[in-house]
Amino acid sequence: MAQQQGARNLTVVGTASPPIDAVERVTGQAKYVGDIELPGMLVAKVLRARHAHARIVSLDTSRAEALPGVKAVITHKDAPKVPIWGNRTYALNEQVRFAGEAVAAVAAVDEETAEKALRLIDVKYEVLKFVLDPEEAVKPGAPQLFPDGNLEGQPRVLTRGDVERAFAECDRVIERVYHCPTMWSGGMEPRVAIAQWEGNKLTLWASTQAPCRVQTNLTGQFNLADSQVRVIASYVGGGFGTKSAAHVDETIAALLARKARRPVKLQYSREEEILDSNTRFETRVYVKIGVKRDMTLHAMDVKAYINQGAYHVRLGGLGNQATHIYKTPHLRTVQYRVHTNLPNTGPTRGVGDPQETFAIDSAMDEIANEMGWDPVEFRLKNVKRNGDPIARGGTGPEDGRLVTQVTDRCIEEGAARIGWARRNAAPGAGQTGPKARGIGVAVTERGNGGGLAGATVTVNLDGSVVVFYASTDIGTHSRTTLSMIAAETIGVALASVRAVAGDTEVAPYDGGSYGNRVLYSTGRAVDAAARDCREQIFATAAPMLKASAADLELRDGVVRVKADASRSLPLRELMQRRGRSVVGDGNVAQSQAEVNVERAAGAHFVEVEVDRETGKIRILRYISAHDVGQPINRTVVENQIEGGTIQGLALTQAEEMRFDPRDGRCLNANFLDLKPPTMLDFDARVIEPIVVDNVGEQGPYGAKGLGENPCHPGMAAVANAVYNASGIRLRRVPFTRADVLRALAEQRTGVSRTA
Amino acid sequence: MADDDRDTPDHSVSRRAFLKGGALATGAIGSTLLPETAEAQLPIATEPDPRRSVVEMTVNGVAYRKEIPNRTTLLQFLREHLALTGAKMGCDRAQCGACTVIVNGRNVYSCTTLAVEATGAEVLTIEGLATGDALHPIQQAFIQHTGFQCGFCTSGQIMTTKAFLDRVPHPTEDEARRALSGNLCRCAAYKRILESVMTASRLMQA
Repeated sequence: MAQQQGARNLTVVGTASPPIDAVERVTGQAKYVGDIELPGMLVAKVLRARHAHARIVSLDTSRAEALPGVKAVITHKDAPKVPIWGNRTYALNEQVRFAGEAVAAVAAVDEETAEKALRLIDVKYEVLKFVLDPEEAVKPGAPQLFPDGNLEGQPRVLTRGDVERAFAECDRVIERVYHCPTMWSGGMEPRVAIAQWEGNKLTLWASTQAPCRVQTNLTGQFNLADSQVRVIASYVGGGFGTKSAAHVDETIAALLARKARRPVKLQYSREEEILDSNTRFETRVYVKIGVKRDMTLHAMDVKAYINQGAYHVRLGGLGNQATHIYKTPHLRTVQYRVHTNLPNTGPTRGVGDPQETFAIDSAMDEIANEMGWDPVEFRLKNVKRNGDPIARGGTGPEDGRLVTQVTDRCIEEGAARIGWARRNAAPGAGQTGPKARGIGVAVTERGNGGGLAGATVTVNLDGSVVVFYASTDIGTHSRTTLSMIAAETIGVALASVRAVAGDTEVAPYDGGSYGNRVLYSTGRAVDAAARDCREQIFATAAPMLKASAADLELRDGVVRVKADASRSLPLRELMQRRGRSVVGDGNVAQSQAEVNVERAAGAHFVEVEVDRETGKIRILRYISAHDVGQPINRTVVENQIEGGTIQGLALTQAEEMRFDPRDGRCLNANFLDLKPPTMLDFDARVIEPIVVDNVGEQGPYGAKGLGENPCHPGMAAVANAVYNASGIRLRRVPFTRADVLRALAEQRTGVSRTA
Repeated sequence: MADDDRDTPDHSVSRRAFLKGGALATGAIGSTLLPETAEAQLPIATEPDPRRSVVEMTVNGVAYRKEIPNRTTLLQFLREHLALTGAKMGCDRAQCGACTVIVNGRNVYSCTTLAVEATGAEVLTIEGLATGDALHPIQQAFIQHTGFQCGFCTSGQIMTTKAFLDRVPHPTEDEARRALSGNLCRCAAYKRILESVMTASRLMQA
């Protein structure tokens, strides 16, 4: 592998260059959407329902409209009867399905006037019965959110082999339930949108991960052509999936701006961001797992309830852990996607994979311990390896073969680093004091990107290079990594490359920044566009250097004849003589079947200390081993692993959204009560990333995606380590101190207090 | 109350002198950053409005005098009245630290400080940290370690670091972790932020 990299003689790719926009980011000059002021811009505010489920009987906005300074008021009557991205009915609805849903919006000359106007809107509701629990929601007689019921579509079923027969063949079968409640998952920057109309042309600045998706939604809402809607998302203050599709806020801003004939800024408060963006959907996963005495994982039956809340921007569901990580000859997964009167759900870092990894890799650990097996040995015996079968269609028959798969090496390298052999041979063995230590493991994987990707690369007359792409840099430093790809492919220094991110008007269609796809898919489009540039440069240079284009090379900004380095031309001079810019086109369509066989694995190992007197779980050491293929930028890779690991750990500690069972309202829609981790909550110094040496096949320069994966294994790894330390098994996140103390009490008394 | 001379105290540059002296030479400075004169901003009020007040403060070395609604937070004043948008609104509840600026040497959450409370104060924001093109050592350290991902919290992290290192020039790592614990980073680049703070402490001694 190293030989292969060496042979490629990379000069930019694989380095640890600082981000190319670092100065903007550390000087406050980077302009996020909320920083933009337009002349005559109005302030928008949204009126939100306090009922979890209600029908609007009457809505009187006349007093608000009469207030001096109010320029537009909109209600469901103004919303186009075109569904918003996902399944959410319209931008504003007559039926309210969660406490916090928008019912009206106002644009006014200032914030104070807009807030005053909201209080002058008179809404009368018919309050309806509501349901919050996904299993309750599918029972007969449950309050119905939609005319066709709360269960969305048919249950998603996947089978391989014969599960019923296989369980009869097993030497041991266990059944467990793992529960992840609805959790917050946003970034530091609350949603914000600015809309400006010029005639029938709409420009919308949005804090989004996917400008083209927002564009597609707006063209549908307003019946416009792509050419009439420009979406710009230059700097985005974090996304983590919550901004990965169109949402109601962009349409509300555009409706208000059209009505007021003035630009409008709609800035969500933190509370609005928590209630009306994407939350991480609740999952209740029933796992039945059976093994044979020879350590074979023989059968698995997974039934999951996915609580999608009132609306979603993408159908919720588990990921591919049960199907893709272990060979499991006999498998069935059944998923019920259920609507309840909870806030919106949608993709959040890892989508359903962190929840599924928690279930599957906890169950793996439970049965290994029951059998007295080494959990690492058990995983290595059953994990899919390079060349093993994989479903090319994701869910169908296993008709493909895994390529560049290194799950086994992630496990081996992680185990070696943490010193797996020193874990307690039996749970809690030798841990006699109040503080018990133990080690746990969890394994995960995920596919990379796919879909339509596009980029344009231009070489200017002075030889400088600009990369245009319509995905965004949400903090993954894609501006930098995509520029590095362009620099490497064309053969210029990174310093001469600049990237323009997130503008649908200057770049071709690209799906967006989500699902491990910017580097893997958009990166390939950038590579293709840069190759196109290089070909055009060679075509121009060939007559100048009296050589054929095939005999030329371009390195360090100089075109040379390969066989005779004395015949050379600096790119700058070449471009000036050419007298025309070079425009390189890069468009890539990756089918699901094509990308599905190449996946990125990870294995996490954690050593914890459980304080049996206080219930506190402390992370002593955390190894995050990941396959990223060829790292494009080593610093970016480690930064992503470290941050993603902490986000995964955060799910073990806090971030549960709690709802009042009496009225369905969220009780903790603020940072103080949600408790996202501060620098003191986890000691980030104990996290050690391992980048497993590998080169992929399909990504640019063999890179793979990484954004999602580090967030997957934290919950399972910690639960397994807590078990190894103390013998208690935690099956619901977050693991509060009360949960730990209760489990320890049950362990002492043998009496279970849980239902 | 609108007295032209009081708008430009001696230690500050007057608008006219600023325009004559350096604005053309330093074209990077946007016109929105120019201090506004009282005559441009404040017609002499016939009846004082009790809901509005005049604030005077020095921000990044420039004196400002403005009449603003009393409800204006320091964050709004900086962002909306002075176009200094480096400090961010992350929660508006003193729960995240994205809005951190330095007031009279102390790091404060500008989202929960009223602008009128800062009257007469010396305010430093991220925009005032570098000297011309020369980045402050803290900014250099954040670049060296890539102490950020999305960058939305970065201004606040850096300003908290500045106030902290001015107070405690040679901190231990644990002291630094405590000092920075009021600044959330959702991307969780905490390891790199801590490294940035420790490196900045060394650079500032050099």
